[in-house]
Amino acid sequence: MKYDFDDIVITGYSCITAAGVGTSPILSLLDEGRSALVDIPDDITGGISLKWGRAAFFKATDYMPPLKARKMDRSSQLAFAVTGLALKEAGIDTKALDPEKIGIAMGCGFGGVGNSSEFLTGYFNAGVEGLAPMLFPNTVSNAAASNASIEHGLKGPNITMVQRFCSAESALLMACRFLQQGQADIMLAGGIDELNPLIIRGFMELGQHRQYGSCFSEGCGVIVLETAKSASDRNARVLATVKSISSIGLMPDSSADVCCRELLGDCSGISSISLSGTTVETKNILNRLPDCSRIDIAAATGRSLAMGATAMACFASCLQPSERGLHLASSPEGPFFAIRIDGGCSDAR
Amino acid sequence: MSKKRIAITGIGVFCGAGKNIAEFTDALINSKSGIAQLDMLDTSPFPTSIGAQVKSYDPLDHFSPKDARRLSRSDQFGLIAAEEAISGSGFSKHYSPFETGVSMGAGAAGMFQSEAWLKALLAEKKITPALLRGILPDRTTTEIATRFNLCGYQNSITTACSSSATAIGWGADLIASGSLKAVLAGGSDTLSLLTFAGFNSLKVVDSRPCSPFSLGRQGISLGEGAACMVLEDYDEAVKRGARIHGTVLGYALAGEAFHMTAPEPTGSTAARVMRSAATSAGITLEQVGWVNAHGTGTPLNDIVESNAMKTVFGDRVKHVPLVSTKAMTGHCLGAAGAIEALATVISLSNGFIPQTLNFRGCDPECDLDYCHEGRRISSCDIAISNSFAFGGNITSLVLGK
Repeated sequence: MKYDFDDIVITGYSCITAAGVGTSPILSLLDEGRSALVDIPDDITGGISLKWGRAAFFKATDYMPPLKARKMDRSSQLAFAVTGLALKEAGIDTKALDPEKIGIAMGCGFGGVGNSSEFLTGYFNAGVEGLAPMLFPNTVSNAAASNASIEHGLKGPNITMVQRFCSAESALLMACRFLQQGQADIMLAGGIDELNPLIIRGFMELGQHRQYGSCFSEGCGVIVLETAKSASDRNARVLATVKSISSIGLMPDSSADVCCRELLGDCSGISSISLSGTTVETKNILNRLPDCSRIDIAAATGRSLAMGATAMACFASCLQPSERGLHLASSPEGPFFAIRIDGGCSDAR
Repeated sequence: MSKKRIAITGIGVFCGAGKNIAEFTDALINSKSGIAQLDMLDTSPFPTSIGAQVKSYDPLDHFSPKDARRLSRSDQFGLIAAEEAISGSGFSKHYSPFETGVSMGAGAAGMFQSEAWLKALLAEKKITPALLRGILPDRTTTEIATRFNLCGYQNSITTACSSSATAIGWGADLIASGSLKAVLAGGSDTLSLLTFAGFNSLKVVDSRPCSPFSLGRQGISLGEGAACMVLEDYDEAVKRGARIHGTVLGYALAGEAFHMTAPEPTGSTAARVMRSAATSAGITLEQVGWVNAHGTGTPLNDIVESNAMKTVFGDRVKHVPLVSTKAMTGHCLGAAGAIEALATVISLSNGFIPQTLNFRGCDPECDLDYCHEGRRISSCDIAISNSFAFGGNITSLVLGK
């Protein structure tokens, strides 16, 4: 299936990853052929050599008062911080605009798992006396988007989804649809994932540390999408334009050729591609775009379920004005996304 | 959302109030509740011990031994409800697999199995890691898409208790936009220690079966289950001779941006979302016959939802019953929106408004018509189904005959 858009622009983005704050540290690492991945401590892996991309430098109290930080889980802290950075980058003062026309759509990976395990561990170790009620509300996947919306006063459409390595792309699709329908003027679309020792332990028990859980990472990326009119009305810089979003749910081997044709559509003029999720292993797709330059942020920051928004932010920052780009995201059991993003111009007019 | 009519051509359910459409319809008509003593969790440390559990469930009645081991309880419930909806619809032979997709809402997903793994890990016992496979809430969606060859799209909405209402609204929009021809939409969620202990720790679980909008209500009764619908373009469904159970006319959603667990007291966002849903459906509020409430039975929720109704319907509010089916189904969290949307569709098509059970007395702050006295015959064509969630996520669906 395919959605075409003619007036959805990107006016801001930001991210926090193992590489640092914003897209520049990631792009620098890629330029230098280096990575922010580090060894996972032996007490977590039992001595097996594994790497992860933890945003260990991130301190929530750099972005919010300590009391507020204590009430949030790690995903919510990251989402709150990055949403604020993205709004600032886009020059949006939410108090100066209609809050009911600003929404948030967030793809989530393991968000909520940290609080869930901590809450349950309290119970398993000490019974009902060990339960910490404050942890429970942030066990839900939507805690990150909801906490961000509460703190930034975003009263428009509010949605969270999980669809493995395409979680952020799934969020982007819904965000664009809400803009197209006029339900919002501005949508923050992003992806959030958190990483903790228990998740690594789970990967190892399932053997995922040798497959898709290898070099896993955490972080948050948020893209500010808005209608061209909204951007124009407030004289915003247009950093890129979302032209279309194609998706396929499953790609059976017997139909792979047809699926790839349908997903990619007319690729003429595409000079750059961005890879997210497991696309780098999806040869059926990549073989159709042999001459395009590639940005694969996983090489610098590792891979996470909701890395797509960070990948798209990096991609948008690299595209030249009017350059035609294609962001590709895949998951081992589907879905698959192809998102046409064109380079922007200096302002909305 | 476009005003294109979306037909519901297949329905399926598997929950504590009924393990198929016939049983669930009987429960709605005869006001039977699925809330009873729980036996899948050790409730002895908690002040409450009841809920709407799917009782006498043997996975081997539905799945091969391998699949029964591989699939989480939530995946299993979702597949059972999806199978009933898809087989009843008969849409599969009319569309290419790439014209069909899946939009499911989820909640705790495979937490029931995963917490057994965590417990064993903390006790330094060996246990199969397969228990973790269903921990991500997208698993049910992928299992349904794969089993029924629905290749065009898959997505899992995870906004806690509004997840599956939004999944249905979004599923309808995928048809309305012309992106897909048929969508299996719904939700699945199961009881787990996490949610049982969690809601008990917040002291919002009633020790007696929940009594929405009643005086002296103490909170929710938890439940579990799955409900699914097959959605298609109305005209195409008619053309292929499909049985039409009802319609999805529109939906809207928003975030309150107020508090993670407490609703905004005036209900202004809930009111805005109901109005927006009616606008998206292309109907007037005068056409709405009744509202299937989020109606959890917590002291605060029920007052706020009543306030929102007054804002939306004004002088007509006392003639628009606000009913809660949660006293029959329990609060099924990620599946609640789908189960309640299904209850609404069945009630509309059978010409009645369901009863809100367990009346304990009139609450002066809940002074609307809640159908406490019994099921009511109704000829109305349109109803709204509300879903509220942690984080202030609100979704309203507009459903028709």
